[in-house]
Formats: sequence, structure tokens, C-alpha cells
Amino acid sequence: MSSKENSYLEIEQLCQQELEKLQLEEETLLADLNGMLNQKTYIEDKIRGLSRLIPTLKIMKNEAQDLVETINDISESSEKISSKIRQLDSARGHGDECLLRVNDLIDLEICSQGVQQAILDLDYEKGAAHVHRFLSMDQTLLKRTANDMNNVSNMLNSVRTLQEAANQLQAIVEHKFNEAVNAEDLAAIERFFKIFPLLGMHEQGLKNFCTFLRTKLALTAEKNLKVAVTTPLADKRHPIIYADTMILLFEGLARVIETHQPLFETYYGPGRLISAVNILQKECDTQVKRIIMEWSKTRQIQKKIQQINEMSRMTSSGSFNKLEKIDPKDLDILIGEISLMHYRCELYIKFIERKIAADIDVGIADQEQRTKTTKTLEQLILNSELSQCKHDLLSHYLKLEQYFMEESVAKAVNMDQLEPSFQTSSLVDDTFFIVRKSIRRSISTGSLDGICVTINNACRVLENDFCDVIKARLKQGYPSGYLDLTQAYNVLQNSIQQGRLQSGDTEQSRTSFIVALNNADNSTKYVNALVDSIMKETEGACPNLNATEKGKLESCLSGISGVSVKLSEILDYGFQQLKSTVIKPRVNPWVDQFLNFSHQLTEDELSAYEAGESFIQILIMNLETLLSSFKDILTANNYENFIKVLTTEVTQRFEKVIMKSQFNRLGGLVLDKDVRSLAGYITSGTYWSARDQFARLTQIATILNFEQIDEINEYWGNSDGAITWRLSPSEIKSILNLRSDFRSDDIKRLRL
Amino acid sequence: MFCICLWVFPFASVQVLVGNAGVGKTCLVRRFTQGLFPPGQGATIGVDFMIKTVEVGNEKVKLQIWDTAGQERFRSITQSYYRSAHALILVYDISCQPTFDCLPDWLREIEEYASSKVLRVLVGNKIDRDDREIPTQVGEEFAERHNMYFLETSAKESDNVERLFMQIADDLMKQARMTNAQRYDPSHYNVEPTTTDSGCCSRLN
Repeated sequence: MSSKENSYLEIEQLCQQELEKLQLEEETLLADLNGMLNQKTYIEDKIRGLSRLIPTLKIMKNEAQDLVETINDISESSEKISSKIRQLDSARGHGDECLLRVNDLIDLEICSQGVQQAILDLDYEKGAAHVHRFLSMDQTLLKRTANDMNNVSNMLNSVRTLQEAANQLQAIVEHKFNEAVNAEDLAAIERFFKIFPLLGMHEQGLKNFCTFLRTKLALTAEKNLKVAVTTPLADKRHPIIYADTMILLFEGLARVIETHQPLFETYYGPGRLISAVNILQKECDTQVKRIIMEWSKTRQIQKKIQQINEMSRMTSSGSFNKLEKIDPKDLDILIGEISLMHYRCELYIKFIERKIAADIDVGIADQEQRTKTTKTLEQLILNSELSQCKHDLLSHYLKLEQYFMEESVAKAVNMDQLEPSFQTSSLVDDTFFIVRKSIRRSISTGSLDGICVTINNACRVLENDFCDVIKARLKQGYPSGYLDLTQAYNVLQNSIQQGRLQSGDTEQSRTSFIVALNNADNSTKYVNALVDSIMKETEGACPNLNATEKGKLESCLSGISGVSVKLSEILDYGFQQLKSTVIKPRVNPWVDQFLNFSHQLTEDELSAYEAGESFIQILIMNLETLLSSFKDILTANNYENFIKVLTTEVTQRFEKVIMKSQFNRLGGLVLDKDVRSLAGYITSGTYWSARDQFARLTQIATILNFEQIDEINEYWGNSDGAITWRLSPSEIKSILNLRSDFRSDDIKRLRL
Repeated sequence: MFCICLWVFPFASVQVLVGNAGVGKTCLVRRFTQGLFPPGQGATIGVDFMIKTVEVGNEKVKLQIWDTAGQERFRSITQSYYRSAHALILVYDISCQPTFDCLPDWLREIEEYASSKVLRVLVGNKIDRDDREIPTQVGEEFAERHNMYFLETSAKESDNVERLFMQIADDLMKQARMTNAQRYDPSHYNVEPTTTDSGCCSRLN
């Protein structure tokens, strides 16, 4: 029962709870309702207010419509007004024009009266100002005005007076200017120079003024040239006196242009510099030509060039050269002077180009006109005598420089000398000094073409004259002779130390062979350094090379790099010679000694072999003697190369004699040791690892050192110890066959 | 020089154009490299340098063309370029007898300065003109006599210009392949093992 009671209690409790909830809800609902009731009056108020507004809105709408109409009306009338204003504007324009015309007419009147007076008063500035005013009037407008007016005659009179006055003034000013020039009255010259543009005589004024400047320049130039011609031979500047005269001329011209350019710009306006320079350039051309003529006469250029041409013709046709050869040293200073002269021409041309281009940039706005003027500038420079002279100078320079380089290198070859305790002879240093000097000088001309041609010529001289000499010496070969090697070494050392060659032909040839080899090696280094320095120096001297010009230079430079290719071919050739005359005849018998030893050893024989002088000890000793005889006389590179060639020869021969021998287990062991000590010896003497050259030999020794045939499997195929084999499977099998204790059936069965 | 170029590009060739002033060397080069015919050109000063890469049988060939000035006073500049040329193009104007008469002089120059193996081509330019003075056959015979290729062109009408340069590129390419084959003839050199895997030997040691 109690459970029933319990459940009733629970129900009662639940009912109670529900009841409480409902009561709470009722309260909140009541509160809400109250709130709404409170708001009711407020909302009703609002609604009442709104309904009162409705008539007002209607009024507003009507008013707005009225407003729109009014605005439309206004806009229409304003448009009408604006068209009126436009009319007014144009009318005012006409009025202005009229005013201008009237002004013009008044001015015309004033000018025509004033100009006469001014001319009478000799006040040319004033007169010119009147004429300038007259010229600035629109002449067609004046004519039209004349047609419109009644007192035509009066106005036409004024115009006529002014035109006459203008002509009169032009004539007077020109006359006065010429008078001033004749009297060398600088102030007057400047005075009238400033009047020309007022009279619309811009070109005429510039022409007159520049012609005056020309005469001044001509006088100075003549004086300078006279000084140059009479400069005594002992004078320090004598060797380059004409280059000096040239720079004086160019500096004078540049100064004239620099000082007068602001004057031109102020009174004549910008963009007219080209006309001025055009006239000045004529004087420049005349003077440069005179300097060159005088120079060419004094320095006997034509004769020298002719002599050089004749000589090259004679040598090329093979006939004996009876002509007195010009000593290249005598040309040295002259070549220097030409390169300086050329550089100065180049510099002046660049100056003019820069100046005028800047003036055109400022003064000429019209694109078409600008291109046209730029073209005129190009033509002006291209066709100038100065450019022609510059080309001729370059042509002379190149001829002489080429001769200088060729003959100096030929001299260096003839005077080739071996200094004591030097590995290379004087030929290499001398030749590269000359080539470098020539190329440097060509860079100082400032002409890329000049640089490129000199580089081309240097290539030819190096490849033909220089490399061929070295090659010819190597071609004579390295005589092996019957001498004991140490003796040969001593003789060689002696001859080098005493700086002269011993009477014996053999030693002489040996020295000359070794020196040639060293020369070739050193030259390779010089060639690379030369290319680097040319590149840098050219960039310094001609900083604004465009892509094409750079390509040109690089293409020519690649020719010089080509010389090092030829040198390395020569070195290869030399080492082939050494290999066949020095290395092979010695190495072969030494290695062949291997065949005189038994390689099937008992334990006793093994200890006896190790105690005595073993094959490998004798071989290493012999190699040591051979190497040491070459170590000091060869350059480091050549010595390395020598070891390489030697190593190749030794390993190849060693392989051959191994293949002719029979081994047992102990014999294989000894061989393996021998090969390692040989490889160790060679590697110890070089900067590179000889391991690679020993790869085949080492592998052969390893195979012969096997305890069992199966050991090969540890090194073969996919096994852990697999190596990159330099031996083919069939070679491996034939090597295994050299072991007398391996059965050939087992070897055959191997799967490789 | 040849070898260096080979590494930079598959193949590079150097061509030099020579001939009297005004025969149209520059126009030929411009037509070929830029497809232009610039009228009223000034005389060339020194040498001009142009590069064009063309394809010959799927291989890129870089043509370096040196356009020399015809005027006498630039001779000392132009002569220096003959030596490194792989091909020389000698140009005359078919409407101007003197330019043809000068050919022997040019050949003498070539003989003196150029390599003996250089490929030589004779070109009669300006066939667009009506006032021909040198018949095709005369040019042909001259070329044959001096062992040169022969072609008549018009830079203005673009006749045969492409063919001229492409033919040269083609020929030089063949030449290069032949010399290359010789260059790497193994009998001239030590045959040394080419692989340099040192790892293998260290294990053996």
C-alpha cells in the first residue's frame, strides 16, 4: 500500500509543481496585458496625429509639382541666356581682336615713326625692337585690316615704311657687324649679334657670328701649329706635339661652344646649336686636316706605311728582304702618338654629339623635326673631314700596330734566351708583354673597331708565329740517347744553370724540348689572364657599349681563348713525344722484370722474397729516379701531366706482364701488396688521386688474391660487396685462370 | 676558336661579307637577319656584327655575320676578320661592271688573309634592276673557275637571300660534323677510363 501512497504523493507533488508554473505564467500574462493597455492610449494618440497630417501631405505634393515646373522654366531660360553669353563671348573675342588690330595699328604707327627715328639716332636696338614688334604681328591679319579700313593708304604706308626699315636695318646691322668684325670690336660684335634675331635673321646672325669665331679659331690654330712645327727635337713634348696641337684645337673649339651656347640660347632660342656647330665644324675640319698633313709630313707616315707594305709583300712572295727593316721599337712612340690623336678626335666628336643632342632635346618639341635634326647631326659628323681624318688615323694606327706586334714578337723569338734556373725562356714573357702592350694601346684609342682588330691580329700572331715556334721545337723531339739518366739530368741542370747550352746536341735538344713544353704551359695561363684583363679594361675605357658592340668584342676575344685550345694540343703532342722517347723505353724493361720472378711461392720463398730487394722496390726506385730528373725542370702542371702519362704507361704494361705470369695463393698476396705500394707511391707524389688510373690493376690484384674462386661472388652482381668493375666477365675469367691452384672447370662454371 | 664555340652553342659559324662599296652587303645582311630593306643607308664604317640563330636539320646553328665596309680606307680593319671566318661571301652588283672587275683583287686578298679551307661564295646582287651589265653566265663561269659557289640575289625583293645563308649554314654544318669526327678520333689520344667512381676502389683497398 505504501507504494501506492508513495505514488499518490508523487503525483500530488507533480500537480503542485504544475500549478505553481501555471500561476507564474498567469502573472506574467497579466503584466503583459497591463503593459499593452497602458500603451493603447499612446498608440491611439499617434494614429490620430497621423490622420491629421494627411491633408498637409496633399498640399506638399502640389507644391512640389509647382517647384518642378518652375525649375524647368528656369533651366530653359538659363539655356537661352548661356547661348546669349556665347554670342557675347565671341563678340568679345572679336572685340579683343579688334583691340589687337587697333593696338597693332597703333604700334604700327608708333613703330613706323619710331623706327626711322631710331635709325637716325643710330639706336639700332630700339629700331630692331620696333621691327621685331612689326614682325610679330600677324601679317595676313594686317592685310585683312587694311582691306576693312578706310584710311588704307595711311596704314599701308606704315607697313611699307616698316618693311623698308626692316630691310634697311638688316642691311645696316649686317654691315655694322662686318665693320665690327673688321675692327675686332668685340663689344660691337656682341651688340649686333644680339640684334640679328630681332630682325628675324636667326640663321644669318649665327652664320655671321660663327664665321667670326672661325676666323679667331683659325688664327689660334695657325699659331699653335707653327709652334708645333718649330718645336725642337729635344723638347719633352716633341714626340707627341701633334697630338698636343690637336687637343689645343679641340679644347679651343669646346670652349667656344661652351661659352657661347648660353648666348645662343638666350637670344636665338634653344635648338639652334647645330647650325652654329655646323659652321664651326668647317674650321675644325680645315685645321685638323692641316695638322694631320703637317704631322704626316714630319713623321714621314706615308713612307713608313709604304715600307711596311712592301716588306709584307716581299715576305709573302718569299723573295729575300733587301730593304732596311724598320725597327719596331722606333715606331713605338709614333704609334703612341697616333693612338692619342685618335682618342682625342673620338673625344671631341663625343662632346659635340652630347652637346647638340641635349640642345635638340630641349629646343625641338616636334617629334618629326627632332628625328630630322638628329639625322642632320649624324650626317654632319659622318661627312666631316674630322671623321675622315679619324678613320685614316685608325687605319695608320692599325697598320703600324700590326707591324709592331709582328716584328716585336719575331724579335722576341729570335732573341729567345733561357735564364739560369728558370723553367721557361724569355720568349713567353716577352711575347705576352708585347701583345698586351699592343692591345692596351688599342684600348687607349677609344675605338672598338681598333680594339677588335688588334685582338684579331694578336690571335693570328699568337696562333701562327708564337705557337708554331713552340710546336716546331717540340717536333724536333726529345732524344732518348744512351746516357744514364742521372747523368742526363746533371747535364741538363748544368746547361740551365750556366745559362748556355752545352756543346752536346743531345742535351741542347733536350733542354729546348723541355723549355718549349714549359713555355706552352705557362702561355696557357697568360692567355687566360690576357682575356680577363682585356675585358675589364675595355669596359673601363668604353663604358657604354650596346649589346651588338659587346657581342663584337666577345666574339673577337673568343679567338684569343682559341689560342689556349691550340696550346693544349701542343702540350698533348709534346707529351706523346715524351711518352715514346722517354717513358716507354725505360718503363717497359723495368716492368718486364716482373716476368723474371716466380709468383708461385712457398712460405719460405715468400719470406725470402720479402727480405730481399723485391720487384716493386726496384721499380719504385727506378720511377723515383726518373721522376726526380724531371721534377725541377718541368712546371708544376707539366710535372703532374708527366706523372699521369707515366702512370698510365706503367699500369698498362704491368697489366700485360701479369697476364703473362702464373700465380699461386701467396704469389697473389704479394702482387696485391705490390700494387698497393705502387699506387701509394704515385699518389703520394701528386695532388690528384691516382686511384682511378690504378682501378683495373687493383681489381686484377684483388682477384688474384682470392682464397677461393667463389669469393668473386661477394664482389659481383647484387651482393653487398659489389663494385663497379673495370674488367669484363671474360677478362675476370682469364685472370682467375692465371691462378695455378684454381681449377679451370670451376672457373668455367662461374656465372658472371 | 672553333672548339670553344662548339661548347657555347651546338654550332657557331662565322661569315664575312666582302665586296666593293655599294654592292649591297649591308642590305643582304639586314634582309636576312631583320627582314628589312633599309633604303638610303650610309656606307658601313669598319665592320658591323650581327647574329642570327637558324635551324639546320633540327640543330640550332648560330650564325655570326660580319658585314665589312667596302671602302678602301677600312681595309686594315676588315682584313683582320678574314682569318677566323668559316665562310666568305664575295658580293658584286650585277648592274655595275667595275664591281665585277674588282673580284680578282678581292680574291687575292682572301688568298692572303683567309684560311685555305674557308667556304667561298660568289653573290651577284641587285637582280631586281633592269640595267644588268653582267650576265648570269659570266658570274657563273667566274665562280666555277675559282672554285666558289654562285648565287644571284636581290636584297630588295628578298630573292634567294634566305637560300644563300641557309645553304652556307648547311654546308658548314656538314663540314663541322666531319672535322668533329676527326677531332675525336681515339687513335690520337690516350684512351683513359671515363668513369670516375672512386667508391668502388676504396672498398677494394
